[in-house]
Amino acid sequence: MNRRIVLALALATTALSSLPAMAQKSGGTLVQITQPEPPNLAPYISTSAPIGQVTAKVFDGLLEYGFDLKPKPSLAESFEVAPDGKAITFKLRKDVKFHDGKPFTSADVQFTIMEVLKKNHPRGIATFRDVTAVETPDAHTAILRLAIPAPYILKALSSYESPMLPKHVYGQGDIKTHANANTPIGSGPFKFGEWRRGEFVRLDKNPSYWRAGLPYLDRIVVRFIADASTRTAVLEKGEAHVAGLGAVPYNDAKKLALRPNIEVSTKGTEMISPIVELLFNTKQAPFDNPKVRQAISYAVDRKFVIENVWFGFGKPAMGIISSNFQPSGLFAPGIDFTVADRIERANKLLDEAGFPRKADGTRFEFTHDITPYGEEWQRFGETVQQNLAQIGVKATLRYEDLPKWLKRTYTDYDFAITSNFLFNLADPVLGVHRGVHSDRIRPGTVFVNGSRWSSPETDALMDKAAVETNDATRGKLYAEFVQRVSEASPVAYILEVQFPTVINKQFKNVIDTPLGIYGNFATVHRQ
Amino acid sequence: MKSGSLGSYIVRRLLQTIPVILGVVVVNFLLLQLAPGDLATVLAGEAGGAPKEYIDQLRARFGHDQPVYVQLFNYIKNLLVLDLGYSFRQSAPVLELLLMRLGPTLLLMGSTLVVSLGLGVLMGLLAALWVRTWKDHVISVAAVIVYATPLFWVGLMLVLVFSIWLDWFPTSGMENVVAFHEGWNRVVDIAHHLVLPTITLSLFYLALYARLMRASMLEQRGLDYVTTARAKGQTDRKITTRHVFRNALLPVVTMAGVQTGGLLGGSVVVEAIFAWPGLGQLAYQSLFARDYNLLLGIFFMSAVLVVIVNLIVDVIYVFLDPRIRIG
Repeated sequence: MNRRIVLALALATTALSSLPAMAQKSGGTLVQITQPEPPNLAPYISTSAPIGQVTAKVFDGLLEYGFDLKPKPSLAESFEVAPDGKAITFKLRKDVKFHDGKPFTSADVQFTIMEVLKKNHPRGIATFRDVTAVETPDAHTAILRLAIPAPYILKALSSYESPMLPKHVYGQGDIKTHANANTPIGSGPFKFGEWRRGEFVRLDKNPSYWRAGLPYLDRIVVRFIADASTRTAVLEKGEAHVAGLGAVPYNDAKKLALRPNIEVSTKGTEMISPIVELLFNTKQAPFDNPKVRQAISYAVDRKFVIENVWFGFGKPAMGIISSNFQPSGLFAPGIDFTVADRIERANKLLDEAGFPRKADGTRFEFTHDITPYGEEWQRFGETVQQNLAQIGVKATLRYEDLPKWLKRTYTDYDFAITSNFLFNLADPVLGVHRGVHSDRIRPGTVFVNGSRWSSPETDALMDKAAVETNDATRGKLYAEFVQRVSEASPVAYILEVQFPTVINKQFKNVIDTPLGIYGNFATVHRQ
Repeated sequence: MKSGSLGSYIVRRLLQTIPVILGVVVVNFLLLQLAPGDLATVLAGEAGGAPKEYIDQLRARFGHDQPVYVQLFNYIKNLLVLDLGYSFRQSAPVLELLLMRLGPTLLLMGSTLVVSLGLGVLMGLLAALWVRTWKDHVISVAAVIVYATPLFWVGLMLVLVFSIWLDWFPTSGMENVVAFHEGWNRVVDIAHHLVLPTITLSLFYLALYARLMRASMLEQRGLDYVTTARAKGQTDRKITTRHVFRNALLPVVTMAGVQTGGLLGGSVVVEAIFAWPGLGQLAYQSLFARDYNLLLGIFFMSAVLVVIVNLIVDVIYVFLDPRIRIG
């Protein structure tokens, strides 16, 4: 009761104070659930999944993106790539102010990219590797100078991936232990209000946001609830309105979708493109043999996994590159491992590879490690175990906690097969190359080439595609690359996960970018 | 008993606890070294992958590139001036994080202690007075059932019934984050949110204390001093309230002191279900993130809490039973 009155008052006051001609109603508080609680609010030094769900609303990027992954203006009104691809010139908006009232200028771009992202951002170190300088001929022009063409940078400038920081704030003191790490100051549609650890982060409307009339919401409260059943109950009761990226278990999302006040959307992962895979240790028998790896890939029943483990929230992966890259022409399918006679093919491959069935019907045994990301991964492991039993391969499951599993997989390489979760991100250079390139075989670095497979041919294809500025030519390079990778199958690509986002129907326009819940929510409004 | 001797007793006890707490810290520090994986890999893992330069940079920053004994020495040195270090994962000083969570934890622990002790003692007392009647059986059987029911199940059922079906209480959290009440309204709002978690956490201990109280009452009633009192012509009512009750309370109070540690642990589950922003949640998260600075801080604070509660229990003894001397 109380809440309704307060909301009505809030609506009334905003209606009185601002009367721009707009169809959408202003006002209201959106409660978002993010799981787990972000460790900090410093997206410039950590890309931990929950951080961006909060900070993408506080910071702006130079660009935003449509569902086709094509750039749209944001802090940069326009950009121009030099004919040789070695410079990108951004024209910046002149009317942007940070939350502390100071104007946004090219010096902030220069500082953010050169001093912060290129040095400290976990992915920025790689993304901006070839940026040699950011020139600032005037306050509203920033020129990125590149050693070699790096077209993928244009896909990595969202507020989630590369938030633009105010130099006069973050330039003071050590960026790694900065005083504003938990009290971010940006230029985005929402200002940081308060963070009560273990409870919530409150974001308030930025009344002087540079997009006139936006945002519509008065406030976003991001709540942290550790128990999955409680999260579902809270959404069901309408105490919270938005939850995505695994915050709601897949089976609960299915149940919630049946309720009249709730909709479940699978849009909003087009720029994340998560792929569930099985990673082989290609330096160790029997998985040093591509035939064995292909056999395993054939044996996994992708359709069953999608329907029963991910409750329909996914589609079969066709290769190392996600089908989300279809609109940009970078997608190509590899070998089809979902054919009808896949079990026969798998058996035949194993016979050829020199692993005949023994008297007890088995061929060999191994330990299957499981990604410690939650229950569905355990179910996935059990499914794979049963699938492999069909072709006479016996798997024993092992489940450890995250630090232990990371060390085993990416430092000690002490595994045979492990399930894995790798994101394609906004461009294959950012998300795909790391999985199979020889220069990404780096003990101790996580989520890179853990199979330790590579080939000079695929390396060359990737190196060419990375500097190629023409999408059609890139597409051709990637088509060949995908084919070669699927022949070697250092990784079995199982499914592309389509994360369900649970949305209370009284809020509209929640998912309007390919980053989904990592969007800035400026245009979200109450019905 | 002179108040001066009580004061010096408390001071002496507090001094004795210093080596105990230091011991706890050292053992915990060494135990944590045995866990595989470290904060740097977790941070990089959460980031969905990071270059090696970044991970090395992190390790150097955390001081993890130093030998273990150097790390331990530095930690204890800082601890002596109450500098609990910095949580690199949460980008905040450990002490600040702990103090932020201490309030909600003490609130939940306090209300649970009051409810479970109060009701538990009352139930036990009644069961003992009605011993071997149907009322006694009802209380005893109910206590066994509650004692055997898992906390998380009770919590979820309470949410389902009282929050989703009946809509009497909020599902979770410590206050209404849409309204943001102030002043007295806020107190009422927090109390409203406190009801379900307190009931959930109390039920288990309530059952424990009820059973203990009942057994203790029955035992005391058979002792010689009761016969003596009866021979003196005391009424049953007076014997129960003046003598038996006070003596029977001693084991229950002891148990309550011992259980504070357990209460902290049990609250992890309750905090998770009800999204209660306490220390238990923080401990759980930091363990899985290998955030050792923060985890050690939590252990330290828990050890201090347990020691203080037990000291209070010892002092309460004196008031309950004047025969017990301090010192």
